[in-house]
Amino acid sequence: MDQAISFDHVTHTYQAKTPYAQDALNDVSVTIAENSFTAIIGHTGSGKSTLVQHINALLKPTQGTIKVHDKLITPTTTNKNLKEFRRHVGMVFQFPEKQLFEETVIKDIMFGPKNYGVSEADAKHAAVDAMNLVGLDQSLAEKSPFDLSGGQMRRVAIAGVLAMRPEILILDEPTAGLDPQGHKEMMTLAQRLHDHDQMTIILVTHQMDDVVNYASQVIVMDRGKIVKTGSPAQIFADPEWVYERQLNLPSSTEFAQRLIDAGIPMGKLPLTVNQLADRIAELVAKGDSMNE
Amino acid sequence: MKDIIQIQNISFNYSNQPRLFDGLSLDVHQGEWLALIGQNGSGKSTLARLIDGLNVLTKGQILVAGMPVNDANVLKIRNKIGMVFQNPEDQFVGATVEDDVAFGLENRQVDRQKMHDIVKQSLKSVNMWEFRDRIPANLSGGQKQRVAIAGIIALSPEIIILDEATSMLDPRGRQDILNLVRQIKEKNHLTVISITHDIDEAAGADRVVIINKGQKIDEDTPAQIFKHPKRLEQIGLDVPYTSQLIAALSKRSVHAAKEYLNSEELITWIKQLVSTT
Repeated sequence: MDQAISFDHVTHTYQAKTPYAQDALNDVSVTIAENSFTAIIGHTGSGKSTLVQHINALLKPTQGTIKVHDKLITPTTTNKNLKEFRRHVGMVFQFPEKQLFEETVIKDIMFGPKNYGVSEADAKHAAVDAMNLVGLDQSLAEKSPFDLSGGQMRRVAIAGVLAMRPEILILDEPTAGLDPQGHKEMMTLAQRLHDHDQMTIILVTHQMDDVVNYASQVIVMDRGKIVKTGSPAQIFADPEWVYERQLNLPSSTEFAQRLIDAGIPMGKLPLTVNQLADRIAELVAKGDSMNE
Repeated sequence: MKDIIQIQNISFNYSNQPRLFDGLSLDVHQGEWLALIGQNGSGKSTLARLIDGLNVLTKGQILVAGMPVNDANVLKIRNKIGMVFQNPEDQFVGATVEDDVAFGLENRQVDRQKMHDIVKQSLKSVNMWEFRDRIPANLSGGQKQRVAIAGIIALSPEIIILDEATSMLDPRGRQDILNLVRQIKEKNHLTVISITHDIDEAAGADRVVIINKGQKIDEDTPAQIFKHPKRLEQIGLDVPYTSQLIAALSKRSVHAAKEYLNSEELITWIKQLVSTT
């Protein structure tokens, strides 16, 4: 698989050359494959947000280089050269609805493409497409974004990013503050953008159940370093190691651990409720057949 | 049991919007941990704002420690209530973490040395003392929320309202903060109202109130509330993990007697099932 993104020995220091200087990223090297669904997990303050902000060049490395498709960012890349970069990488921040500002939903979504010199008609076309993508009814187009519910506002903000037709979409804790239904809709949207629209999705999350249900690749960060990469099954196979990174297990893996502690054999640790239910049903069937 | 908050037959709507509450009544017992659960837009946060006098009722009244929430009492009432909101960015005023926590105390003209002690103690209790010289904007989301909570703790309120306050924290941080609030609650005999979507957080409450479209659907202990997982699902809430597993087992023809068991009960049942040999 082609690589969409690669970090080569990247260090980022906040407040460099001051007494408060601190490395938020420390010698990070990693690659993210084209059209992958990658989750980035790590304890609060581990550097997840700093890492993803380099992918769309909101931050430049203090040392090292980042390659996104065929474009390179180095500590000396000028800001002028970053614009083209950002066009291909959509970034949805935490609480993106805070950034809405236009009078109407459609104007807000059109702002990004217009900012890149797209014509009014093309921008509108892109905005209408983006509204469809995120499941916003067209009847909302002329409404003020501020009259919408929190979940709808967030979708407007995401539509604004999608209207730029990025190839890579970064979602930084996109479900924070959403209710369970909004959460499910958001993750279904991410999955659809990945499966149907062939986008490379990078999800920063604390929700381990989302990691096992949606991601194919996981990057674990701890104190500014990448400490493990692998499939969800590889990452969660060692619960001790996960706990030491101050992370949680997916609900089903954690529950399986408790069953193991109660003396019930589990074999390979399940990641999802269906895997766990399969395992328990197997054990029950085995018990029944032995009784016959 | 004494009721520290009495919500009596209230009606309310935001201007030009349909009525949100129509005759809602609810009591909050002194010293309890009450979880308010419901979808976004169900009116949970509005209820918190009405208790704190940030919005004005159209009908009915709310009493806090026996005082009606009105213009005459609102400052006294706000001194009793510490609100922690979902997004701490909205709450920062100080240039440094330490200044930010001191802000509320400065407003109350607390003596300088005493203020320093309180700020130190509050920041230590949320594990943020070593960050005291940092700029709040440069902290991570979870760290910001800890600072916001320290700011509330510093003012030693009688009631703490957590409005989705832990939703930005990672699971460990969330548990830490909840444990911390629990400790402070016990130590200072506080009342905690937690507005949450987190079903595990609700499970730790003394009582749970379900709000849907401005209506109180039910109020009971978590165990009683969770006996109806389908109802939770219907109103767009999460179902406790144990109920999800029971439902998944049921699809595989392994049927439990109930739709909800707590973790211990579920483990005991599974153990019996698999060790019938």
